[in-house]
Amino acid sequence: MAIKVNISPLLKHATNGVKVTEVNGDTVSQCLDHLVKQFPNLQQILFNKNGKLYEYVDIYINGESTYPKELAKPVKDGDELSIMLTIGGG
Amino acid sequence: MLTAHELERYDRQIMIEGFGEEGQERLKKAKVVIAGGGGLGSPASIYLAAAGVGMIRIIDWDKVELSNLNRQVLHWDKDIGRRKVDSATEKLKNLNQGVKIEALNETITEANISQLVAGFDLIVDAMDNLPTRYLLNKAAIEKNIPFFHGAVYGFEGRAMTIIPGQTACLRCVYRGVIPGEEFPVIGVTPAVIGCIQATEVIKYIVGIGELLTNKLLIYDGLNMKFTEFKVKKDPECEHCGQLARKE
Repeated sequence: MAIKVNISPLLKHATNGVKVTEVNGDTVSQCLDHLVKQFPNLQQILFNKNGKLYEYVDIYINGESTYPKELAKPVKDGDELSIMLTIGGG
Repeated sequence: MLTAHELERYDRQIMIEGFGEEGQERLKKAKVVIAGGGGLGSPASIYLAAAGVGMIRIIDWDKVELSNLNRQVLHWDKDIGRRKVDSATEKLKNLNQGVKIEALNETITEANISQLVAGFDLIVDAMDNLPTRYLLNKAAIEKNIPFFHGAVYGFEGRAMTIIPGQTACLRCVYRGVIPGEEFPVIGVTPAVIGCIQATEVIKYIVGIGELLTNKLLIYDGLNMKFTEFKVKKDPECEHCGQLARKE
């Protein structure tokens, strides 16, 4: 299943500047696993030592928030995943 | 009732369809708290004062530093070392003498937040840290005051409008923030986001247009792209969940 992933520009240092990619998976968790295989530096930015998504990471499917239980959310062929980071500057 | 001076001063915005003298009178009666007199608070307060909002209360505990000046356009070289609220008051009063400016040199805390926003119609979130944003969000919900969120990082910005009891709140959407006390930012980013916050405030007061509710607007200045993400009220939200269950 091809899932398009939009990666926040704030993560470009971990993706060699890649902003959009494609992954495979049936759930958000599987998609992120595939994404981390492509860009291993994302592992420590997105997940803590216990494999839990950091609170500052927000995942959207087709523009809709996946919170709560983000990792368990199902995805289907053609879906678009967006990975965003929460910011707080002012 | 608008004076002849006000009718002339605000003539171009009174001309806007759906705005009119009635909209201008609503602005004149409105009392807005701007929490933070920095990067976001500067453009938000400048454009709300220019639009003729009747009373603006700016809250900021800080003093002007050289490194603020790339983005905090209310403060100038001559203001370095001055209290931000004093610098802001001077500029805003010079911009529009018809607007009452109230400056509070205070740190926003759980103990004083209720008092700081009491009696005001709207709150603009122009803070630079998430814990204080949460305090404001909670107080806005408890007091049923519309809350206008904005945040920036580098060339990126976010904005969202919260109507207590009706829409997703900041706590429904935000749970953590990128670690680090200092954040990178170029002045044009808070300029864009602060103006979006001011636009939302004006629309809400006048009663026109569609608000950024249940939506998080993402501004990507590097790619010059605006994206909207749909967000919804979290029934278990620790700030607005109880209100959500009452509906």
